[in-house]
Amino acid sequence: MNVKGRKQELTIKPYKKPLGKVIRDNKVLMLMCLPAVLFFIIFAYCPMPGVYIAFTNYNFRDGIFGSPFVGFKNFEFLLKSGQLWLLTRNTIFYNLSFILLGNFLQITLAIMVNEIRCNWFKKVSQTIMFLPYFISAVLIGVLAFNILNYDTGALNTLIRETGGNPVKIYSMAGIWPFVIILCNIWQQTGYGSIVYFASICGIDSQIVEAAEVDGATSLQRIRYIILPSLKPTFIILMLFALGGIMKGNFGLFYNLIGPANSQLFPSTDIIETFVFRTMMNQNNFATSSAVGLYQSLFGFLLVMFSNWVVKKIDPDYALF
Amino acid sequence: MGKHVGRKFAAVFLAGIMVFSLAACGEKKESSAPGVDGGVNTSKHEVVTMLVLGNKPSNGRCEAMLEKLNVILKEKVNAELKLTYVEWADWQTQYNVQLLSGDKSLDIITTATDWLYAWENTQKGAFMPLSESMLKTYAPKTYEQVSSMDDWKYCKYQDQIYFIPEDHYTQYTNHGLFYRGDWAKESGIGNGDIKQFEDLGTYFKWIKDNKADVIPWDVAGKNNSGGLLGGYLNSKTENIVIPSVNVGNYEFWMGVSKDDPFTIMSPYMEGDVIYEAAELMKKWNEEGFWREDVLNYDGETREAMYAGTSGSDEHHSQTFYSQIRPNMDLKQAGSDAKMYWWGMENNNVSKPLKTHGAAAISANSLHPERALMVYDLLRNDEACYRLINYGIEGVDYVITSDGKLDHPEGWDKSKDSLDANFWCGRNDDLELQDVQWWDGTKDMIENYNKFAYENPYTGLIIDKNSVEAEMSAMASVLSEYIPQLAFGKYEDPKAAIDEMREKLKAAGYDKVKESIQKNVDDYKATIKK
Repeated sequence: MNVKGRKQELTIKPYKKPLGKVIRDNKVLMLMCLPAVLFFIIFAYCPMPGVYIAFTNYNFRDGIFGSPFVGFKNFEFLLKSGQLWLLTRNTIFYNLSFILLGNFLQITLAIMVNEIRCNWFKKVSQTIMFLPYFISAVLIGVLAFNILNYDTGALNTLIRETGGNPVKIYSMAGIWPFVIILCNIWQQTGYGSIVYFASICGIDSQIVEAAEVDGATSLQRIRYIILPSLKPTFIILMLFALGGIMKGNFGLFYNLIGPANSQLFPSTDIIETFVFRTMMNQNNFATSSAVGLYQSLFGFLLVMFSNWVVKKIDPDYALF
Repeated sequence: MGKHVGRKFAAVFLAGIMVFSLAACGEKKESSAPGVDGGVNTSKHEVVTMLVLGNKPSNGRCEAMLEKLNVILKEKVNAELKLTYVEWADWQTQYNVQLLSGDKSLDIITTATDWLYAWENTQKGAFMPLSESMLKTYAPKTYEQVSSMDDWKYCKYQDQIYFIPEDHYTQYTNHGLFYRGDWAKESGIGNGDIKQFEDLGTYFKWIKDNKADVIPWDVAGKNNSGGLLGGYLNSKTENIVIPSVNVGNYEFWMGVSKDDPFTIMSPYMEGDVIYEAAELMKKWNEEGFWREDVLNYDGETREAMYAGTSGSDEHHSQTFYSQIRPNMDLKQAGSDAKMYWWGMENNNVSKPLKTHGAAAISANSLHPERALMVYDLLRNDEACYRLINYGIEGVDYVITSDGKLDHPEGWDKSKDSLDANFWCGRNDDLELQDVQWWDGTKDMIENYNKFAYENPYTGLIIDKNSVEAEMSAMASVLSEYIPQLAFGKYEDPKAAIDEMREKLKAAGYDKVKESIQKNVDDYKATIKK
């Protein structure tokens, strides 16, 4: 009897607000959400059926869904050109470098800025670090060419004037990973450090003050208070970044390397630049979409996998 | 009750739609057939947009001309013309993307089977099929002119006409290198006339040794990644390039010779000429005949030649006699600019295709009839023709007493040119001889006429659909090897070429060759008929 009563108690359904009431109660919040939701519906979900183009022999009179279905034929050229491995490797290598080095420097920078006591200096240095983010990749390409080129570049002019042997930088594939990573970091670090700086500001000041009272040095404060409290931010940013690990920074790569200098391709060609060249040369949307699909699918699997790993280690840090 | 009203409303609404759509049908019918009086219904004012190639002019001359032209067009066919430009930077991509995007505002499209992907875009459905009755009705003069030369057959795909050829306009568009006669003479080349490919090396070397601030050939490798390879092959073999079947950006497939044009091959894959070419380019690169970082450079190199900082420039004959020579005479007086054309030593020069310029109507055009009417006027009406090609009389051009084209005092080509770029319907009947063109133009053309052969591939259509994956893979191989071969960047060009050949084979060279050979065989059979 007793047992039965308890069982009944357990199966009582909790009161669930009807959807209409949920919406009415949160009108303002919902409204604020709306633009973002619409954005994703229009730009992320509506175009999704369009990936079908990757499986067709596209012609635009018949449209995406009217063009003949060709299965995986559009993916063939990726294998045939023998570039798939190189492209995937380069793309992942660059993105991993960007993510790891970038985050490391961003955190360092945020902590350093946080330690600055002089207020105006703090503001000025933040602004200066922020600036490169607003320079377009086209300009970076032009700047790089004017500094690095052999005949008239600033660097080689300097070397020549001081009696050295000028270097043919645009023929040296090995140097470019450094140049590209340097440019990327120069551009992104100031901007990226803002997020970390914000979460440092969010740390409860009582903890820091208590540590100070207990005689913790500033290094100890960083090591035991600031770094641990940046962990969740770091992991979330990392997971987001991993999702895009197959997506290269096209603007930067294309403007630094260009479409013709194939000497540098072995170390600098990423999926984006390859797809772009293919589309230019063959004006073929279907094969380009095929590559895009490959990228997205890979990125999706990677996010799921890393989220699963994070969940195993500490469920609190997982995205979902 | 409420329901009732709703239903009634819906019924009325639907009826309204039906009436409206019927009316629309009726109108269309009316406009697609000639009216009773032989005229055409042009009661509605339409804007006709024409896609042209070239940098959009910013000097206001073109707009002023369009204003005048539109007055005439409005009066005659109640339409106005607008120009859309595909600029030279990345033009290949821009052009194709523009067409493939299905833009509904485009009406007339400048195209060409050899350099503007006309067949590809036809196959992809970018152009509207043009029926003979449509052409007869809306572009009667053009129809008559093209028919009189029996040239429609060159514009047919699966028995449908897809574009109008610019077939009544003489020009030579064979490529070559422009150089300065004065320097060539000083370099010890007899009379300053470069007559064979190797002489270019002598000329370049002299500049390198004697003109410290001049780059022998300042070239933007970003836009010309094939360099002089194609020119070398043209001058040292009998092969003829098959147009409109480029692999990537490169003219890859060729016919064996003008006596055997229907056996196809590629000198990049067969024979030793490409080895020689690559070795020579390596030597020239080491001598510094172009910028070390040529493949990353994209400056305005023609201006460099005008300014005297580049010793040469690469393009075709028409560019030479219409622009290079007159401009050089003006800006580098006494430079005696000349042209060494590919194939000079072996007379391997083909006449341009009759479809080197052509006008297509966009598949998405909302008023193709009016577009054809406008085109017919531009091509055949003297007033319209002069406006679109030369501008406003008295301001942009004047006509000399002997009926030649001249420009008013103080007119500067590099600043005041019209740039309407109407390259899809020029007409020898209305064309005025330009006094500012080089006065040797006529002789040059007559000289070509002596030995240039008719292009054997006009009307050849290559079906690339079945070999698209292989072509893409080959293009990707070429885009890796050709720029470096062309500008001599490989330590061992021979090894690089062997490697390239192997990769091309792996990418499906044989399959593509077989497929194209079949198209060529079919074409051969049809013209034999």
